[in-house]
Amino acid sequence: MVLEIKKISKNFGGIQALTDVSFSVEEGEILGLIGPNGAGKTTMFNMITAMYPPSSGVISFVGNPLSNLKPHQITEKGICRTFQNIRLFSDLTVRENVMVGNHCRLKTNVMQSVLRTKAQKAEEARVLATSDEILEVVGLANDKETIAKNLSYGAQRRLEIARALASRPKLILLDEPAAGMNEKETNDLFNLIKKIQTLNITVLLIEHDMPLVMRVCSRIIVLNFGKKIAEGTPSSIQNNKEVIEAYLGVEEEDELA
Amino acid sequence: MLGELINPYYLQVSSFILINIILAVSIYITLGTGQLSLGHAGFMSIGAYTTAILTLNYNMPLVLGVIIAAIVTGIVGTLIGIPALRLQGVYLAIATLGFGEVVRVLFINWDGLTNGAIGLSGIPHLGREIFNLSKSMGIEPDMFGLKNNQFISLAVFFVLLIITISVIWFFVRQNNSRIGRAFSAIKMDEEASEAMGINITYYKVLAFGQGAMLAGFAGALYAHLMAYISPSDFDYHRAVEILIFSIFGGSEVIWGSIFGAVFLSAMPEFLRFINEYRFMIYGALLVLMMAFRPQGIIDVNMMNRFKRLMPKKRGEKKHGTGNKEDQ
Amino acid sequence: MLIEQLINGLTLGSIYVIVALGYTLVFGVLNVVNMGHGEIFMFGAFMGVVVTNILGWPLYIAFVVAIVVTGILGYFLETFALRPLRGKEGVSHLAPLISTIGVSIFLENVAHHFFGSGNQPFRTSLSELKFVLGSTTVYYVQIIIFVIAILLMFGLTFWLSKTKAGKALRASAENLAVASLLGVNTKRTITQTVIIASAMGGIAGILVGIAFNSVNPQMGLSFGLKGLAIIILGGLGNVRGAMVGGLILGMAETFIVAYGDSGYRDAVAFIAIIVILIVRPQGIFGTATTGRKG
Ligand SMILES: Nc1ncnc2c1ncn2[C@@H]1O[C@H](COP(=O)(O)OP(=O)(O)OP(=O)(O)O)[C@@H](O)[C@H]1O
Ligand SMILES: [Mg+2]
Repeated sequence: MVLEIKKISKNFGGIQALTDVSFSVEEGEILGLIGPNGAGKTTMFNMITAMYPPSSGVISFVGNPLSNLKPHQITEKGICRTFQNIRLFSDLTVRENVMVGNHCRLKTNVMQSVLRTKAQKAEEARVLATSDEILEVVGLANDKETIAKNLSYGAQRRLEIARALASRPKLILLDEPAAGMNEKETNDLFNLIKKIQTLNITVLLIEHDMPLVMRVCSRIIVLNFGKKIAEGTPSSIQNNKEVIEAYLGVEEEDELA
Repeated sequence: MLGELINPYYLQVSSFILINIILAVSIYITLGTGQLSLGHAGFMSIGAYTTAILTLNYNMPLVLGVIIAAIVTGIVGTLIGIPALRLQGVYLAIATLGFGEVVRVLFINWDGLTNGAIGLSGIPHLGREIFNLSKSMGIEPDMFGLKNNQFISLAVFFVLLIITISVIWFFVRQNNSRIGRAFSAIKMDEEASEAMGINITYYKVLAFGQGAMLAGFAGALYAHLMAYISPSDFDYHRAVEILIFSIFGGSEVIWGSIFGAVFLSAMPEFLRFINEYRFMIYGALLVLMMAFRPQGIIDVNMMNRFKRLMPKKRGEKKHGTGNKEDQ
Repeated sequence: MLIEQLINGLTLGSIYVIVALGYTLVFGVLNVVNMGHGEIFMFGAFMGVVVTNILGWPLYIAFVVAIVVTGILGYFLETFALRPLRGKEGVSHLAPLISTIGVSIFLENVAHHFFGSGNQPFRTSLSELKFVLGSTTVYYVQIIIFVIAILLMFGLTFWLSKTKAGKALRASAENLAVASLLGVNTKRTITQTVIIASAMGGIAGILVGIAFNSVNPQMGLSFGLKGLAIIILGGLGNVRGAMVGGLILGMAETFIVAYGDSGYRDAVAFIAIIVILIVRPQGIFGTATTGRKG
């Protein structure tokens, strides 16, 4: 078990975003986390990465509880995320974004950096190599010097993934990576996620693109109004009555609006 | 003939410009992590008073006084930087402004040590010290065909020039490293930086402490250049002046801030009548810059274009922040 | 003695409250700390000097002139320093802070240029009028200042809660984007807000002139800093907080001067805000806010 979520609840000044949600992520799997808008999926990511503390409940990573850690310490432990509303370092180049992602695996301090010691130079060379490798993986090798904000939307999403990969995570959290992508890009994304799996990285995926989720995930958790309503294989989820109702309910509301 | 070319007055002006460059770099470092400090005049005064008191009351050598002054200010800056972390934007600006005022009030009231509002005079002069030192080494001004005051101004200028270049060198290198990348990531998006594994607490305190230390260092040099300091040298106007060097010249790249310091401190020398209106112009400049060019005169794009015009020196490429100053 | 100090503290506090309300009003609607407010206030005080001392006209005209002039300054500040930054992409949240610092430095040095750096007296018989109550001397000015402060407080509260313009203001304070969707003319509302806030600064300027009988270009900074301290004490954008914060500061300073070391009077405000910012960054009356992440 890589990650274990135990009875997590979160209340935002009256809004109950999550209620007693429990599930676990197994090593090497691609686990889907789905649910209608506002179900609490992103909030769950914020809990795991310690952006906010949970109101109650415990999250453990490879057997150790993550309570009282800061977000950067979570990343050091081996969990990294992407953001639903892309949050790249928009004025840095593509390569620099990935290099920043690698930050927590580097050690040189101020003095070493200023004096350009041997160790520092070797480390910088390593960072460059690592970043180029990762950019190759996500298919951005030709845009290394592009300023991040000038990338296309789909490319920005892939850069978010590359930046997260650069932190050498054991578990990567992807928040709607396919949002705004066209069919071809989504297809590439499918391949990318599969490739990430082969790198021995466990994937927890939030996604609204159901065909992608059904195709890529081995298991799926469904949230609705902050509660877990189902868990199982893609086919069992597709036929789950409660899940269908949760999504249909949303569609009806959409039609009304 | 060398003697005719050297005008002590211009050398003195240039020396002050060098100190202003150090101040501009000090605010640039702090701004570089998205922290707006209006307390840099306060830090400057701590440095100035520390070395003044040490050299005057305890006969400490000038060099040691300046070093201790920088360290003391660095410690104070770090101590302020830690609680300041909890403050965002506007709150930080006001709190640091408050800090600067408290320091000033303290120096005004601490009569026994600081001589109150009147200030301290007779602080060992950097030029004198250098002069005495070189005399003891057997170097005389007339060996270069210079008068004493010419020699002193020239020596002071060169010493400060070397110091300033070292400071710039230090921070350019720091920028082109893991540290600099962390700084600019934090400036662009603090939360995302933290989520990407950057210890923002450490880096923000580091930047704040470094900025404070550098301001204190500049303050100490200022004290030994002026030989006289009083609390009014380090008031709100000074804080704004330091800020405007960077805001006007450019706060994205170190060269922008340096340019700002050089341009704004040299301008009144060329346009005499400006001096009287200097702060009015500063005020108007701040308003205009924010409206039309908030990143300052020199920005990343301009640096990149400039670099493309320059012939490539080495095949090697360095990756620091968005601003690769030393390529 | 104690009662006299209390009255002095209340007077000083009332002035601080009026200065602080100017900041609060602008922050409440625009989410901007207007660093130029202190200097606008100082201009109000100088208008009093010009009218009563140089021209020798009666005091009430000073009020009118100060309100008009500071209102106009507020209009310029909004037009040149704030409006160009609004809604522009990629503008840092520090930009309005920096541009209003620009305004403050500009105005201070304009005043310096025209009026000199020294203290200028107010010429009004009002500042001499007093009566004795038991063993305490009370100046009429003190009562007037207190009454005006109270009137402004209630006026502002009433205006914010009752009148149509007040509703528009509150709507824009809560959410500028929503307000413009609802058809509130945000541009006009914002301009009005800045003008009103500045005019209040003008009134405060005259009151300070009467109370202390001395006006100089640096007072914008010193009072402005206190106003900033108060709104941080009371919570940014919080009217009630500004009132309580102002009175507390006025009292604290008066008692420091009376029973402590007067040299540290100007440090009280700042030590207070530094402590408050560390212990309770949202201010005494403010509520904590959370941003959305994800
Ligand atoms: N910082 C916050 N403060 C207050 N409420 C919040 C905050 N973050 C999330 N919420 C609320 O919690 C609920 C769950 O939000 P969340 O962003 O987790 O949904 P989601 O499942 O990611 O939805 P979507 O598919 O639209 O991204 C929503 O009602 C949201 O408004
Ligand atoms: Mg979401």
